[in-house]
Amino acid sequence: MTSFFWNNLFRKDSKEKSVLETLKQTHIFGNLNKRELNLVLQTIHVRNYTPGETVFSQGELGIGMYVILHGKVDVFARKPGFEEEGAQLVAQLFEGDFFGELSLVENQGRRTATAIAATETALIGFFKPDLTEILERQPQTGSKIVLRLAEVLGRRLKETSLRLTELKEENSKNMTRGPL
Amino acid sequence: MISFSRSLQVRRLNRLRFFGFIALLTFLLLSVIVVENLLVSTLVAFVISYLLSPIVNNLERRGFDRFWSTLWTFMIAGILIGLIVFLILPNFSTALLTLQKEAPKYINGFSRLIEDLEIRGRRLLGPLFPLELKEYAVDSLTKHSENFFNEVPRFLKQTLTVMILGPFIAFFMIKDGRSLLRQAFNLVPNHIFETALSLQHQINHQIGHFVRARLLEALIVGLVTWIGLVMIRFPFSLLLALFAAITNLIPYIGPLIGMIPAVIIALVNGVSSFDLLLLFGVYAIAQVIDGAFLIPFFVARLVNLHPVTVILVIIAGAQFMGVLGMIISIPVASTLKVTLESIYRHLTESQV
Repeated sequence: MTSFFWNNLFRKDSKEKSVLETLKQTHIFGNLNKRELNLVLQTIHVRNYTPGETVFSQGELGIGMYVILHGKVDVFARKPGFEEEGAQLVAQLFEGDFFGELSLVENQGRRTATAIAATETALIGFFKPDLTEILERQPQTGSKIVLRLAEVLGRRLKETSLRLTELKEENSKNMTRGPL
Repeated sequence: MISFSRSLQVRRLNRLRFFGFIALLTFLLLSVIVVENLLVSTLVAFVISYLLSPIVNNLERRGFDRFWSTLWTFMIAGILIGLIVFLILPNFSTALLTLQKEAPKYINGFSRLIEDLEIRGRRLLGPLFPLELKEYAVDSLTKHSENFFNEVPRFLKQTLTVMILGPFIAFFMIKDGRSLLRQAFNLVPNHIFETALSLQHQINHQIGHFVRARLLEALIVGLVTWIGLVMIRFPFSLLLALFAAITNLIPYIGPLIGMIPAVIIALVNGVSSFDLLLLFGVYAIAQVIDGAFLIPFFVARLVNLHPVTVILVIIAGAQFMGVLGMIISIPVASTLKVTLESIYRHLTESQV
């Protein structure tokens, strides 16, 4: 039988440790030292969502990214021009995954998909004002985060370019084959 | 698909959080208004924190802890203010005592000026529009000057309370303000969280810039006026410069109000036309510097309110809170503008 006394004593610590651990394992914050991570810990927002609750909706103005602390998030998107068809599930994200990071660098950027909590979910929100605060208070830490962020966005751009090239090649092959 | 009861539960939770947040804001606002001296102390605390937080951030950037950065900044600022007060206070109190002694002379002189104006007015307008300016002006001036000198002890007591309470609140605003705000934001419902956070950041940024710019502007206008008045050897230069600096915080009409006491002193003392011209010159130079350099570079970009709106807002501020209302009306109006614009954008532009 576990002791009520000890359970209570460690509950807060383990929660904080869990946020810290999750941040440490997130690529964007992965190269920060303990002191720098503590600063991030002072600026982030932990938000709790019930199943079915919308984190953000497609087309809304976005100001930051989320890291999944616990739970699961479904990402839905509507194809441009096919809005009446309804949103399609495009991704399922789990503990440690992050999303919405493009909003950290975009000016008045809009969300390109809708994120909905699939289960009881806790998210770590990291927003543009938080990044600005870190850049103001500790520019070295801020630049480390921004560099990692640029790396992530670069990787996404590279993947998109590759996919686009593949689609173009596929398209041109179909064109040369001609109609059956 | 999400069940109906789940969505109902989410909505209920969001409503609860929202009302909690509004209740917290209302409680804070009411406490600030109801408790004596707390409103002015909080306003002073905001001004101090907006002025000192860039210095604290700078120290933190150099590797100091937030607590020590705040403590050092407050200590150095306190020593500097103490030194300035120590250097200026004898001069200031002498000027104030002289003004108190000479007050009857200026009131009588002013009444003569009004009498003269009344005679000329009667000659111009005839018996159809009888003017009773002198009686009214002298009565109100005597009453106000008596009130002013009688109110000095109470004013000093209030100032002392504000001077202690203001920096005390400001210290914790700078040191712990962000974490307190984060805790308050826990009450904001998820669906409006990003909008609320963005709004708070915008308002904070805009008001911070506004406060720093306006105070810098007032300081420069006050300094230029002081130097000018000392150069033309005008009496009460320090008091008049301080008055001009404070009234300069009121847009458009402030500079005119700031000039009135100097013009009355000059007219009562019967200065020559050339000296009067010099006096106007001093105030004009201060306003040219303000209008040509300070406002375009520091202030105008910060608050994009239409001049008519500015005047209306100042009148409303004066109605509610007198001179303090006139000074704080513009930042309050610009805060409202940013808030309403953001809410409108959130409601209309979201392509959900």
